[in-house]
Amino acid sequence: MKKSLFALLVAVLAFAAAGTGGASTRSSQAAGAALINCGKTRSIGLMAPITGPAASIGTLQVKWAQFYVTRYNRAHRTKFKLVKEDTQLGGPNGNAEALKGAQALKGNGKVLGVVGPAGSNEVKGVTSTLKGGGLGFVSGSATNTTLTTDGTRTGYFFRTVPPDAQQSKSVSRFIVSNLKYKKVYIIDDQEAYSTGLSDEVEAQLKAAGVTTTRDGVSQQQSDFSALIAKIPRDTQLVYIPWQLAPKAQAFGQQLRQAGKASIKLMGSDGLFAPEFESLSGVYDSFFPVQPTDATIKAYMASHGGNGDFFGAPSYVAAQVVGRAIDKACKDGRASRAEVRRWIAKTKLKKTLLGLPVSFTKGGDIKGGVFGIYQSKNGKFARIA
Amino acid sequence: MNWSLFFDLTVSGLTLGSLYALIALGYSMVYGILKLLNFAHGDVYMIGAFMGWFALHGLGGPISPDVGAWIVTALMFLAAMAGCGVLGVVIERFAYRPLRDAPRIAPLISALGVSFFLQNSALLLFGAAFRDYDSFDLIGVRTRHVGNVYLATPQILTVIGAIVLMIALTLVVARTTVGKAMRATSFDREAAAMMGIDVDRVISFTFFIGSALAGAAGVMFGLVFGQIYHYMGFIAGLKGFTAAVIGGIGSIPGAMLGGLAVGLLESYATGYLPQGSTFQNLYVFAVLIAVILVRPSGLLGRAAIQKV
Amino acid sequence: MVDLPERPDALQTPRVGVDEWVAAHEERVGRRTGLPGLIERGWNWLPPFGKLAVCVVPAALLPLLMSEENLARYAVYTLFYALMGLGLNIVVGFSGLLDLGYIAFVGFGAYGYGILASTQFGNHWQAELAIPVVTVATAILGLLVGLPSRRLVGDYLAIVTLFFGQAFVVFVNNANRISFPHFGHVDLTGGANGLANIDPLNLFGYHVSSTRQYYYVALIAFALLVSALYFANESRTGRAWRALREDPLAAESMTIPVNRLKLMAFAFGAGVAGFTGAIYGSFQTGAFPGDYDVGLLITIYAVVILGGTGSLAGVALGAIIINCAPELLRSQHDASLLFYGVILVTILAKVRPWRLCAAFLAALVGFGFAVHAIADAAWPRLTAGHAQASGFLKGPIEAWVLLPRHPVKIADFAYVILIAAILLVTQLHGWRRLAVLVPTLYLAAMVWENLLVGQTAGATRLILLGALLVALMNARPQGLLGTARVEIV
Repeated sequence: MKKSLFALLVAVLAFAAAGTGGASTRSSQAAGAALINCGKTRSIGLMAPITGPAASIGTLQVKWAQFYVTRYNRAHRTKFKLVKEDTQLGGPNGNAEALKGAQALKGNGKVLGVVGPAGSNEVKGVTSTLKGGGLGFVSGSATNTTLTTDGTRTGYFFRTVPPDAQQSKSVSRFIVSNLKYKKVYIIDDQEAYSTGLSDEVEAQLKAAGVTTTRDGVSQQQSDFSALIAKIPRDTQLVYIPWQLAPKAQAFGQQLRQAGKASIKLMGSDGLFAPEFESLSGVYDSFFPVQPTDATIKAYMASHGGNGDFFGAPSYVAAQVVGRAIDKACKDGRASRAEVRRWIAKTKLKKTLLGLPVSFTKGGDIKGGVFGIYQSKNGKFARIA
Repeated sequence: MNWSLFFDLTVSGLTLGSLYALIALGYSMVYGILKLLNFAHGDVYMIGAFMGWFALHGLGGPISPDVGAWIVTALMFLAAMAGCGVLGVVIERFAYRPLRDAPRIAPLISALGVSFFLQNSALLLFGAAFRDYDSFDLIGVRTRHVGNVYLATPQILTVIGAIVLMIALTLVVARTTVGKAMRATSFDREAAAMMGIDVDRVISFTFFIGSALAGAAGVMFGLVFGQIYHYMGFIAGLKGFTAAVIGGIGSIPGAMLGGLAVGLLESYATGYLPQGSTFQNLYVFAVLIAVILVRPSGLLGRAAIQKV
Repeated sequence: MVDLPERPDALQTPRVGVDEWVAAHEERVGRRTGLPGLIERGWNWLPPFGKLAVCVVPAALLPLLMSEENLARYAVYTLFYALMGLGLNIVVGFSGLLDLGYIAFVGFGAYGYGILASTQFGNHWQAELAIPVVTVATAILGLLVGLPSRRLVGDYLAIVTLFFGQAFVVFVNNANRISFPHFGHVDLTGGANGLANIDPLNLFGYHVSSTRQYYYVALIAFALLVSALYFANESRTGRAWRALREDPLAAESMTIPVNRLKLMAFAFGAGVAGFTGAIYGSFQTGAFPGDYDVGLLITIYAVVILGGTGSLAGVALGAIIINCAPELLRSQHDASLLFYGVILVTILAKVRPWRLCAAFLAALVGFGFAVHAIADAAWPRLTAGHAQASGFLKGPIEAWVLLPRHPVKIADFAYVILIAAILLVTQLHGWRRLAVLVPTLYLAAMVWENLLVGQTAGATRLILLGALLVALMNARPQGLLGTARVEIV
């Protein structure tokens, strides 16, 4: 006990010393109203899962945001700098990493606006911290409907993706009016994004008189054969709004293996990726991105032909924040509150999303709509 | 009674159950000999799946292999089994042998450390992307059906392969000298050493066999389910471990029984219970608890006599 | 026999060869001299509360030195992990029960507090009411979970508790669709979306909202808990727990009520977990299912194991290391500094005498430059890459380490060879070990620069943690501050 507490004392003192030696920016209690000099280089915060289980989608978002900054810096006298915070979405520490990142951005006096965070639960977790710092944050992938409807982050949170309510409407409309199916099987992957979307689609299909059955798999699962055996052969469509495209690919292959290849498969925006694309004839919902758009072509050219479309809304998010900072910094000085107000007043006539961008009071894109795609010859083509 | 559904579920359960049985055998044998829960076993299984993948792509890939498809498959199995066997022996040598006389928790933590190490080394070296075995192109998955009953090639291969391996293992343990040495060591290590059995060699051999079986299971998994990734060992290890405990840890026929039981249980739970797939892990664990409470040493296990 | 006359200073002078003197031999040998000895003797002189004060008072001064963000990163989460570790220590460390579902209790505490003080049901209980309620409820839950443990031994208990942990996560993930017979459809936990908008703590009217205030709340809670556990450890119950840990069967033969003790351990551990969970959930302003899964469980286990099971100070030390090390590794520059620093310090500390140490370092540096020069001449592509480091490290690293332009395949093979080399080093001794160590260290630097440094926040951290656990168990199975146990099988 004695030697132990001795060691503890030493350790405590040691890290106290380390802590003092670390970044000693005094906590800026500026609730967003404090004006700072814009200077030549302005800082945009970026919160994304750079490492961890969701790294595959986080790195796409970082690439697209970085692409915006690089293009902007090439074309303008003033420069932008991305301050990256790794949120490790889905990682062992849960929301703790996102919270730490939010605290860091809040304390960094130069940061005027934030792109991210990526996960809907992360948004909920960091709201009070970022609000306390007066920062506006624009997410490129948090689609949970309640984020903009529960009123806790109005004026601070915005997103450049349509919410689940919008996606579910587009999906149910397609299933009921275009495909005219009557028997649908819905399988979620137990994560917040998936269950939320599944709940909404299920409710809308039921209201339209479609017979729906609901089940779930875990994201760790690879064996779907028992579940596939349970799906009746006269089911017309299986709706799988999952996040991991390889799992969806495995599901499709196992469906084929079980002799049920006649049942159609439909995914959601999380599955808009090459692995899912490789299954022929599958449907998917995604925002109406145009591969002929100049920005997208430029991105693909500089990234080896990969569209990485999942990260595209983060480009638009960075664009929104960047333009707001520009407008606020016209007089050389800006505050976070000013930048927030400019974000709320965003009006972009044309974006690579295929939609014009302006925000509702809650923070959603006005007139957001999803397109329905079908995989033909290994590539998704828009059909609705 | 929907016989077609029942048969489909049974086949699916047997396939998965065979995999669990192979993994459970590794757990059971090691526990029987060392009283150690080898947490790293699931990750050895994962490495086996990757070794099979690399062997496949080293031989030309699934679409145009250098030699016949069935030879490639056989070579994949061989590579994975040999590689994993060696890996298991190395792990035992460096992570568990020095701790043989330490308190029980020390090798457990060491096993946990090895598990982290393997998982994240796989992540580092192979990346987070899933790798595909593409059995459709390799061995041509033909779904045969008799009436309403469907059977796919990889599933048949898995079940038959597992049965063959389990028979081979039972023969080795029951008929050979090494098998006798294994049984003796698991019964009483000190007495076996006094009888002139080289305990270190026997333990290494046990790890070799257990890990080789896990490697075979990994390749089978890849062939049937297609996708392999660095984290797959965690949940498979957990299920295999559950299977070993249900069957009676330390008992080889128990591990086989337990594995098949868990596989079938999962399958029937998914198929027959509402929201079965969402809660399938819960149902399996609930059965596990029930079995342990009724028979604390598992279905076929031997109640250990504790000496003070 | 003639009696020897009593000398005047007989009591002060140790009588060489006499029993007490011989018995005190080890203590004399172990006593340190000089400054460390002085500090140690001063430390031993302090009463237990004095020791606690000496640790807590500097910790209380930290917020004055650190910015809010650093406080959150380093200090607050360290305290939370230490608190969770204290609870786990009661179950695993004091009583030797392997509980793999412990984190579910923390989650239960967080969700429980959320149900009582958030917008979910409109309850806004004050913290001084809600936290005791949650703590007691969690303790009862721990008791219930412990009930099946009476018939189970070690490894089987692990599985049952693991099942409980998984069951909790699945339950919490799906509990937004339960319909009770009387109340109708109730959304207990928000399902996969989690329970958001948990109120900040409201202690007797005082709102705890900023990070600094949470830090003090956590620090006070920690101090109180450590004191309580210290007393528990010194009490009859504590001694009985230790007996249970060492040998349950022998303890039972000595009429120690083993079953009751197991239940008490579970209940206490769960109570502490619930308490911590309530504060943790309130700090994070929300409780989400993924937060209380196996990942956090492993972190807390690492805290307890590293620090030493059964040692209170060990838990704090473990928490400091486990939380602060990844934070320090976050920036690649710091990580590289840490990496090379640790290697250098280890060499300086372990390779003696000094001449051998100097020769070794010279050989290492020379070997590196030689290989670099040869590679540069023969295959320029091997040295065409750029180091990820910045600042003063960049130049030396680029001159010394092989940095291929397309490092991926080479680095992968180098990694596997490095593992084999390290295993080989552990088997050699004397000069052979040093000889093989030179290329091994050079290979390690190469693998670090090309492969590991890019993943410091992800794979590298866990690889190092895994290797550390294995090495630690081999070298010091009782953890840093634990007491060595001898198990008689």
